[in-house]
Amino acid sequence: MGADYNQFIRILRLKLTIDDRRIKGLGKNQQKATQNMLLKQSFTQIFLGIFFSTFLMLIKSAFTFYFFAHMFVMIMMAMMIISEFTTILFDTSDNVIIQPLPIKGNTQSLARNAHVFVYLTLIAFNISVISIITAIVKFGFLSGLIFMFTILANVLFTLFLANTLYLVIMRLASGEHLKNVLMYFQIVIAIIFMAAYQFGVNMVDRSKIQDMILPVHWYTYLVPPAFFSGLTEAFSSMIFDIQHLIFIAEGLILPIIAIYVTGKYLTPVFNRKLMDLEQGDRVSKVKNIQNKRNYWFRFTSKFFVRNAEERSAYQMMWRMTGRERLFKQSFFPSIGYIIIMIIVPFFKKSFDLDELVQGDMYLLILYAFLIVAATLSGSMLIGNNQHAVWIFRTLPVQSPAVYFKGFIKAAFIRFFVPIYGFLGIILCCLWGIRILPDILIALMSIYLITLLFYYNNRPTFPFASEKIATQGGSSAIKFFMIMAIAVAIGFLHKILIHWFTMANLLLIPVYILTIFWVNKKYVFKKITWDQVDKENNYS
Amino acid sequence: MESQTIVKIQNLQKKYGQKQVLHGIDLEIKSGQIIGYIGPNGAGKSTTVKILCGLISEFQGNITIFDKDLRTQAIEIKKQVGYIPENAVLYESLTPMEFMEFIGEMRGLGIEQTRDKAEKLMDIFEMKPNLNQRISTFSKGMRQKVMICSALLHNPDLIFMDEPLSGLDANSVIMVKEMLVHLAREGKTVFYSSHIMDVVEKISDRIILIDQGKVIADGSFVELNKLANDENLEKMFTRLTGNTNHGEKAEAFINAFEK
Repeated sequence: MGADYNQFIRILRLKLTIDDRRIKGLGKNQQKATQNMLLKQSFTQIFLGIFFSTFLMLIKSAFTFYFFAHMFVMIMMAMMIISEFTTILFDTSDNVIIQPLPIKGNTQSLARNAHVFVYLTLIAFNISVISIITAIVKFGFLSGLIFMFTILANVLFTLFLANTLYLVIMRLASGEHLKNVLMYFQIVIAIIFMAAYQFGVNMVDRSKIQDMILPVHWYTYLVPPAFFSGLTEAFSSMIFDIQHLIFIAEGLILPIIAIYVTGKYLTPVFNRKLMDLEQGDRVSKVKNIQNKRNYWFRFTSKFFVRNAEERSAYQMMWRMTGRERLFKQSFFPSIGYIIIMIIVPFFKKSFDLDELVQGDMYLLILYAFLIVAATLSGSMLIGNNQHAVWIFRTLPVQSPAVYFKGFIKAAFIRFFVPIYGFLGIILCCLWGIRILPDILIALMSIYLITLLFYYNNRPTFPFASEKIATQGGSSAIKFFMIMAIAVAIGFLHKILIHWFTMANLLLIPVYILTIFWVNKKYVFKKITWDQVDKENNYS
Repeated sequence: MESQTIVKIQNLQKKYGQKQVLHGIDLEIKSGQIIGYIGPNGAGKSTTVKILCGLISEFQGNITIFDKDLRTQAIEIKKQVGYIPENAVLYESLTPMEFMEFIGEMRGLGIEQTRDKAEKLMDIFEMKPNLNQRISTFSKGMRQKVMICSALLHNPDLIFMDEPLSGLDANSVIMVKEMLVHLAREGKTVFYSSHIMDVVEKISDRIILIDQGKVIADGSFVELNKLANDENLEKMFTRLTGNTNHGEKAEAFINAFEK
């Protein structure tokens, strides 16, 4: 495949060593948080596997069992490649060191793929460990062993598909434009997967799972999970009819072809395109940014921001949230998820609109946006500007809380309020104008919770944290505590609606005063220079 | 114009974990001077500058700047100080104009005044056409120019520079050197930390050499030269830091990779 084995191993080892050192090189708090996070991620993946295995346990047919198990692995891998590993596949930062060396042909690109493969394999086995045990118990040791082998083949094949897909996208766009296309592609795919899952869960008739047997049609031979499930069933049950022989051929030969095609053809093209992309940034037409008159910004900055220092932090954040790709990549899917969760019940057979608008279902819809409160404060931290934060420390600012107040207000008002407002209009159309005070009250409570989330995070300046280190172990406890407060607030709202007419309006002054107190007193206690200095590196 | 002491450092010490980086530095700096702050790699130059700019708040010893205590009145001091770091890492998704608007407003300048100054300063570096382009598309030298303009936006009385000429083209280097001399004539003080000896030698009124966290020489080039009559600052630097056998080292280096 045009690669040098020794060089390949050296580069791969270097990449894995750097990953390890990258964690050790972080600040003390971030280091601990990252290590906890890796452990937490593994537990989450195993837990996800347990959750899925409860469904698999019910299935009697081996083919159907393995089909769903492989489909699960494949979807999870695809999501991981898209959300987590695209940056590794597109990483050109080591080119300056590695490319001047006499590296043979595709060695560097193959090492890049192998780097991703190592992590994907780990994740694939984390999410499948319970499925493997279930398979051994249900279908025997040999069957479980073959299942493990096919998981590896599945990961390889998925990586090949991702390479192909990215090459197609790279043909369509280049330079900065490509980075934007990739970002929106990642967001859309993440939302599609969520939608597919939600609709899938609602469509499956759970009472029939036990006896479910997937029929094999001509097109089944084209569905990748079928290759691997057919192969596993063939060897574990020793069935070698024409149908299974086709699956065996596909399951064994296609991953090998995939490795060969990826190494021989896709990787060189990918690498060439990647170098174009890197150079393209320098030579592509540089655009002037016109800051058009933004009335929404001007109105909100005058109305919600009182002093000049906070206003400049507000303006800076307003501009950056519109441009930081990692922020959009992390935040936009959460809005998509909520919209999906809201619309899924509308597609249920038992859905009755007249019955719906009689009740107070709109409260649940409004408070579903609380999830955004949690993701917004986390998303604002993620970015590659770790070394640019020194500027905040050199400016004559008495309390860093001023910055943080400006940051959260800008992100909330720019992204959250318009989407929430749009949803509010739709709900008013369905339930009538009478729910307007409830929309306002829910908005205030979501804002309050957002502030609490943000001010209780570690005070890292925006867009300056590794994605993996944004939340630590203690923040999980804070997360649940604040979520508990949020649920209590929602219930209080519901109770007041049913207590007496207009009782809910009592919440308005309470929220205004609480938000005022949080922004005037609480934030200054929570965010001090001592804490900020501990969390940020100014070198 | 009579010079006044504007920076007073007494027994400045700094430890990173177990490692002592600064071992008790004592300095007094007067206004209207260009101070060349030199030393070998790891001598503690950047640490000193970062402490004086307020980027490192934990240190031992006393520092007063403009008669204000750095520990208790850092905000007041920062209003009169400009800082140009060694590596101009800026928020890449912003444009220079947006970045300077942020700095200007944080320093209490009006938006129109900031924009006007930003345009004028960037124009001197022939970067006016780049004012509204993203910093991510800039070369290292262009970023450094943005950094220099941002640091001078509020007309500071004391400017800390850590390798400010890094990445600049020849014309810009000459311009910045001239600018420093003019600033000093106007009574501003420049604290110039660098490795480039000939620039330090040419522009500095006073040279402070530190090694292993201690001041080992302090005075004008002429004063320092009286002691040993070195040919230039580079020679003096190598002698004072105890590294005179460069020829032997170079030979050993060549032998190491040729054999």
